[in-house]
Amino acid sequence: MRMRLLLVAGLSAALSLPAFAADYAQAPGSSLAFAGKYQGETFSGTFPGFRTTVSFDPANPAAGKLSVTIPVATATTQNDDYDTEMRGAAFFDAAKFAQATYTASGFRDLGNGQYAADGTLELRGVRKPVTLTFTWTPGTRPLLSGRATVRRLDFGVGGGEWADTGTIPNEIAVSTRVYLQPAN
Amino acid sequence: MTLKNTATRWGGVSQVLHWLVVLLILATGAMGLVMGDMRNSPTKIEIYALHKSLGLTILALATLRFAWRLHAGAPVPPPGTPRWQDRIASLTHWLLYGLLFAMPLSGWMFNSAAGYPLQWFKLVNLPALTARDAELRLLAGSVHAWLFWLLVAVALLHAAAALYHHVFLRDDTLARMLPRGWLRAGASSTPPQD
Repeated sequence: MRMRLLLVAGLSAALSLPAFAADYAQAPGSSLAFAGKYQGETFSGTFPGFRTTVSFDPANPAAGKLSVTIPVATATTQNDDYDTEMRGAAFFDAAKFAQATYTASGFRDLGNGQYAADGTLELRGVRKPVTLTFTWTPGTRPLLSGRATVRRLDFGVGGGEWADTGTIPNEIAVSTRVYLQPAN
Repeated sequence: MTLKNTATRWGGVSQVLHWLVVLLILATGAMGLVMGDMRNSPTKIEIYALHKSLGLTILALATLRFAWRLHAGAPVPPPGTPRWQDRIASLTHWLLYGLLFAMPLSGWMFNSAAGYPLQWFKLVNLPALTARDAELRLLAGSVHAWLFWLLVAVALLHAAAALYHHVFLRDDTLARMLPRGWLRAGASSTPPQD
């Protein structure tokens, strides 16, 4: 009886181990940036104050989960003129849609330490699929380093008179470096 | 028409450069006056881009004009011009040359300090003259505006003097900056000798 109990306990522990994908929260020093071409020059900006939680086990990426909240009212290009326009009604409409979210569950292993998250971006009230490809650097403070391409017009960012992609391109490159620490 | 300047006439090169720059200044200045107050829009961006492209063109032409002026010289003043008038005319001309450089350069400085891209007709990007700097941006912006009004004043003086010569003194001061036969210099003017 005792043996059997131990065996059951041991088995269930062993079986449940792979499901213990580690949960992480964002650590200081992380960044989320965007970039595009404007009048022949690259413009770039950042989203200060974004928050990431990840559940990830490199051995079982399919069980991974990612959740990011992105305040858009503080998005900045370091140029006041651009920022006012970008946060305004024609672009992020931060007064109405204060934050964007990105959620994904189940990552694909692309090999060579690369993974892909086929997640959903909710931006300006529109939900559309966006794929994030990332590398994972394990350690006590793992680093998730990822890239995605967001087609701004899919989300109505700069629609109407700003829809002309000759002025502002449709495809905006998003890049992120998230340092992680075990979640409490 | 001869290309080089003679003692009595401006040659073709000087004439073309002079009037081309006049047209460019009028267009660039008109845009500069209206674009600042425009509502933010792609049209506003286009107008700014065109203003900058034309300004850079003026800067390039000013360099050419300056080099050509040093190389080809200028006609002598019409006979009988008082010395003080000749002095003022010369001063005005050199001030105008200075402004042809200072206007685009102060605009370029403003653009650089503000951190905007600088593109010539969507073809070539030009480097920033300085890093982003809020104070310098304000300074360069007001210098650009004040130089513009100085340019307006000096150019009006220059044009008024040319008209005065043509209408009242009836000499060929204005006619010699135009292709032969476009303007009849007044009766008292000496007939062309070349």
